[in-house]
Amino acid sequence: MTAEQSASEPGIDAVGAYTPRLRIDAEAFEEAWGRFDAAGVEEKAVPEADEDALTMGIAAAERALDAAGREGDEIAHLAFATTTPPMAEEDLTPRIASTLGAPEDAATRTLTGSTRAGAQALAGALDAVPWGDGGPADGGIGLVVVADCPRGEPDSGVEHAAGAGAAALVVDADAPGEVVDRASHVASYPGTRFREAGDDETSGLGITQYDREAFTTALGGAADGLDADPSGVDAAAVQSPDGKLPYRAAGALGVDTETIAAGETVSHLGDTGAASAFLGAASAFDDGAERVLLAAYGSGAGANAVVIDGPVPVDAALTGEERLSYAEYLRRRGEITGGEPAGGGAYVSVPSWQRTTPQRHRLVAGRCPDCGALNFPPGGACRDCGGRPESYEQVELPGQGTVEAVTTIAQGGAPPEFVEQQSRSGPFLSAVVALEGPDGGEVSVPTQVLGDADAVGIGTRVAATIRRIYDQEGVIRYGFKMRPVERRR
Amino acid sequence: MRDAYIIGAGQTEFGAMPGESYRSLFTEAVDHAIDSVPAGIDADAVDEAVVGSLGVGGRQIGLSGPAVTEHAGLDGIPSTRVENACAASGYAVRQAVQAVRSGMADVVLAGGVEVMTDLSGDTAKYWLGVSGETEWERLTGTTFAGVYAQMASAYFDRYDATPEHLSKIAVKNHGNGAKNPNAHLGFECSLEDATSAPAVADPLNLYHCCPTSDGAAAVLVASEDAVEEYTDDPVRVAGVGAASERVGLFQRDTYTRIDSSMEAAATAYERAGIEPDDVDFAEVHDCFAIAELLAYEDLGFCERGQAHELVESGATELGGELPVNASGGLKSKGHPIGATGAGQIAEAYKQLRGEAGDRQVADAEIGLTHNVGGSGGAAVVHVLEREVAR
Repeated sequence: MTAEQSASEPGIDAVGAYTPRLRIDAEAFEEAWGRFDAAGVEEKAVPEADEDALTMGIAAAERALDAAGREGDEIAHLAFATTTPPMAEEDLTPRIASTLGAPEDAATRTLTGSTRAGAQALAGALDAVPWGDGGPADGGIGLVVVADCPRGEPDSGVEHAAGAGAAALVVDADAPGEVVDRASHVASYPGTRFREAGDDETSGLGITQYDREAFTTALGGAADGLDADPSGVDAAAVQSPDGKLPYRAAGALGVDTETIAAGETVSHLGDTGAASAFLGAASAFDDGAERVLLAAYGSGAGANAVVIDGPVPVDAALTGEERLSYAEYLRRRGEITGGEPAGGGAYVSVPSWQRTTPQRHRLVAGRCPDCGALNFPPGGACRDCGGRPESYEQVELPGQGTVEAVTTIAQGGAPPEFVEQQSRSGPFLSAVVALEGPDGGEVSVPTQVLGDADAVGIGTRVAATIRRIYDQEGVIRYGFKMRPVERRR
Repeated sequence: MRDAYIIGAGQTEFGAMPGESYRSLFTEAVDHAIDSVPAGIDADAVDEAVVGSLGVGGRQIGLSGPAVTEHAGLDGIPSTRVENACAASGYAVRQAVQAVRSGMADVVLAGGVEVMTDLSGDTAKYWLGVSGETEWERLTGTTFAGVYAQMASAYFDRYDATPEHLSKIAVKNHGNGAKNPNAHLGFECSLEDATSAPAVADPLNLYHCCPTSDGAAAVLVASEDAVEEYTDDPVRVAGVGAASERVGLFQRDTYTRIDSSMEAAATAYERAGIEPDDVDFAEVHDCFAIAELLAYEDLGFCERGQAHELVESGATELGGELPVNASGGLKSKGHPIGATGAGQIAEAYKQLRGEAGDRQVADAEIGLTHNVGGSGGAAVVHVLEREVAR
């Protein structure tokens, strides 16, 4: 690949980035453990109990599409990359496609097993041919969703560093972000960071010099493969398992440490795994960088280097809103909670849940052909005129609305499906929200509202977001919740 | 159409009764009902039975009607269970009235039973709230308290009432329940207790919520052709009204009233040929204190938005113009789901016969019972009238 590329070559149209609102700082770990084993991490992002790589990825994807001015139905190529897929086996891209409204014939793929899975996904999207005229689905776009929330043993450096976040890139021909050059490199170095089959905690042998050698060798090899000169970039977004290691690779990458500092997020978000270099790039472009080196590394070892010439439009939300104590952190991570209680009674089967996914994922309501009233969920007699239309006109609600009735379900008061959520996250808000229709009208839906009780009351404006609703029988059920978009009136 | 009369009614104590089964409780309630018939009745005279139960705990989901009537020795008669959540046995009584009025039966036993306190904490979580709309409402993490709390939030936003009015209702009902030997929580509470209790679902605190109870109640309904055999001063079923409403709160046009209650009451008043003003006392469905507040308006005891003023006035206290929940209500007397509606009728029967002891409402001639299923998905209202010296 050369620096000279034709105008129809695919590039980066826009970047979206998302991190959970929760943060924990290094002091909280020091207080709990007497030490903190993640050098250079001052604070890190922590997923809520109802967040995972999928929900964070969807949140980032929505931002990326917004920033690019594109819609989900334009997606022709969808890639999801994470080292922490919520399910070890089961294709998660259909759920992402469903929530974003991607066409059913979009090419989808999942990359996992390495923190450079995101870079591999980007490479795959860029290689998906032909782009430009007659490209994927005649002018469709590529969407690369990279999300991660690694975890390790509670007393390990991996866990102390483990953060959370997601980035998504819209890939398109004639995009403002030109991919100037890219290269990859592999070198066999087992044992630096790994997760055994069936385990959900990442570990490593902690052989400092060896780990460092693997890191610099792979990244240096990728940088050497570039024709473009890395020293000219404004920021180098380098894989950051902690806040120290990326700087060790400065020499091998051919950049100075200030350039690495300009593309780092690890000090405030922690180790964001596969999303690490992408969040760094998003942050750098957001700060005004024009040329960015994205340098992703995965243990094993391999690295990808990508030089992107911007500026690239970015929609990023990388600031935290709520600080956790260490005990709250353990609860959020499910380290000290008991899961769903045993029992029987009310039950929604997976097939009956699946039938409602257009509503859960995309807020598909029905417009009564007789009286025009919106019905949610559509079906049966119209809630307004009482008629029994043969079919309702499918109407996707934009997802904005107003709280009409709300309560806080106090600790210990949740139905069984929500006991684990409440054990982890505490009291939650359950509400009825009037959602606006795309062309006027409104319809009420029951929903959880995210955030603090004092920030939400009757009249609060809210917007839809995808979260885990509950898990049952091993199946994660994703659907909409609402987040406040302004303070209480 | 023949008139229907209550010739006997009774209930077990409501509360936690680990020594009793759903069958033994029901049998005890039947015995109390039979014993209460002034001129006596032979169990063989019962033509039919209708049993209200939600079936909490899943102890006998299928055939729970025959399962309890066989235990009570009512072998061979048609026996069925009706289910309408917390309004199950209110509807059972209504069905008994229909059977009698239609001429298909002369004496019908209507009752209800529920056992709720023998479940493990985990199992109880699965059963409490099974009458909410399951696929959508429950899956936002709402409990029953949560749905009523949502209604309270909307009501408080729209009108001038406050959580303290709910606490005053709790204080009143506990005061009444303390006079009822059958009450589950038969103790008085202070306004301080009722305002400072821990939150359950904001704005509802623990004292704004009824308990879960074990218990059974039974009512004997007789036709006008048969009534004279059993009593000289029967209680006439002057009017019955029932209505349904969308099960999920979010499907309704308003959250600040319960349309099914309004409809049921309007029908019952019309059939009885009375106005709300004519009611001497009422047993209303106060599963949560906000429900009693809404009931004042839905049943026409005051104007819309004025229920808190009725609370302030003291009119609904035992010595007031319109005592409400003299039994202690669901809050203090207890709420064994399937038994509650028949239990309300049993209380009204006692009050109209002047047998309510320390909680007796003076000069009670017309009583109203109001039984609601879920958050209003079903409601049934009975107007009962004392007929003296036929």
